[in-house]
Amino acid sequence: MASDLQAETERSLIEKAQNGDRGAFGELVRQHYTGVVNVVYRLCGEARLAEDMAQEAFLRAWVNLPSFHPESSLRNWLYRIAVNAALDELRRKTEEPMMDELMQMVSDTTPGPEAMVIASEQAAFLQEAMKALPEAARSVLVLREYGELSYQEIATVLDIPIGTVMSRLNYARNRLRELLITQVQQLEVDYA
Amino acid sequence: MHDDMRTLLNAYLDNELHGTRLLEMKMHLASCRECREELKGLRRVSDLLQAAPVPAFMPAERFVSNLSLKLERRTLRDRPPKPGSLAWWLVPAGLLVSWFFVRTVFTLTGMVTAAEATGLLGNTANWLGSGQQAIWFKAVTDLFGAGAAQSTLSTLNEVSVFGMNLLSGLLWQAGIIFLYWGWLVVWWLRRGPKPMKISTTPARS
Repeated sequence: MASDLQAETERSLIEKAQNGDRGAFGELVRQHYTGVVNVVYRLCGEARLAEDMAQEAFLRAWVNLPSFHPESSLRNWLYRIAVNAALDELRRKTEEPMMDELMQMVSDTTPGPEAMVIASEQAAFLQEAMKALPEAARSVLVLREYGELSYQEIATVLDIPIGTVMSRLNYARNRLRELLITQVQQLEVDYA
Repeated sequence: MHDDMRTLLNAYLDNELHGTRLLEMKMHLASCRECREELKGLRRVSDLLQAAPVPAFMPAERFVSNLSLKLERRTLRDRPPKPGSLAWWLVPAGLLVSWFFVRTVFTLTGMVTAAEATGLLGNTANWLGSGQQAIWFKAVTDLFGAGAAQSTLSTLNEVSVFGMNLLSGLLWQAGIIFLYWGWLVVWWLRRGPKPMKISTTPARS
């Protein structure tokens, strides 16, 4: 039964899901879960929160699926919903301090191999630096680096001109470079 | 030139430059050390982002199971009409229009026939009636005379026309009713939601 479902094209699954077929929707979720949760995680920096947001995104997708045009890209549509859901949640939680699991990882990596420590600390710095970026720039960067969308696709997903995509990406990478490179180089020197 | 190229370094890094722009960038990078250094920095950031570890998320199967418990039940009624679904409403509407058209034609034919039999139409009857019917009337009238036989023949003609109209009308209506119910059955079979199926295969990334 599962192999029958897998053999069906995405478009046919979408049409079935639009008619209320939960099995077809489950298969679509299965196909796009990893991509969606990864993008959301890079926006928020917390695994459990990312799973909750991904769930919220898929619930919104189920409700709005009837208005989705099967000719469009489902992946891009889901990313759009996921980014919006994640940003909504982050705005709601701005007052609460975010528990960064990567920082936790750093503190937990007691006398381990130095490479692991460096990697963990780099990841922690990275996550902190990502959080320091404005939402608009972070969304573009995440969709490019982790969603692997083209500039045109990012422009469609975020509903912004392609020139804005380029300028936000320039800003995000340059800012990250400023924030990260020095720290990373210092880390490497410390553990050399 | 340098500033223009500098703003395009990210696009070059992301393989978003093509054609002349790409060639210009390659030529510029070959001669501009500053841009080469900046590109190196940007690539480093991108590499760091790509190398960042991913936590162990909930398995896809469990995620789908949890999600399925929270999905609201949705039926076809909740769907906004799609351009394609308009055809579904055109089918019964078309059948009803056809039925009204056929009934109107039959009724008008009956009225014209009755008016013709009572002589209300005068000479217009020849113009309105079919060639064959006019010839048939003429032949019978010539045979039996234009006197008392004409009224009897006219009545018989009216009865035969009425009978033919009734038979063809019934056939039309039966056909339309059959198509209408067939459409309703197909529509009913298409609209029912199906239960969620949980597969045990791993998720595709």
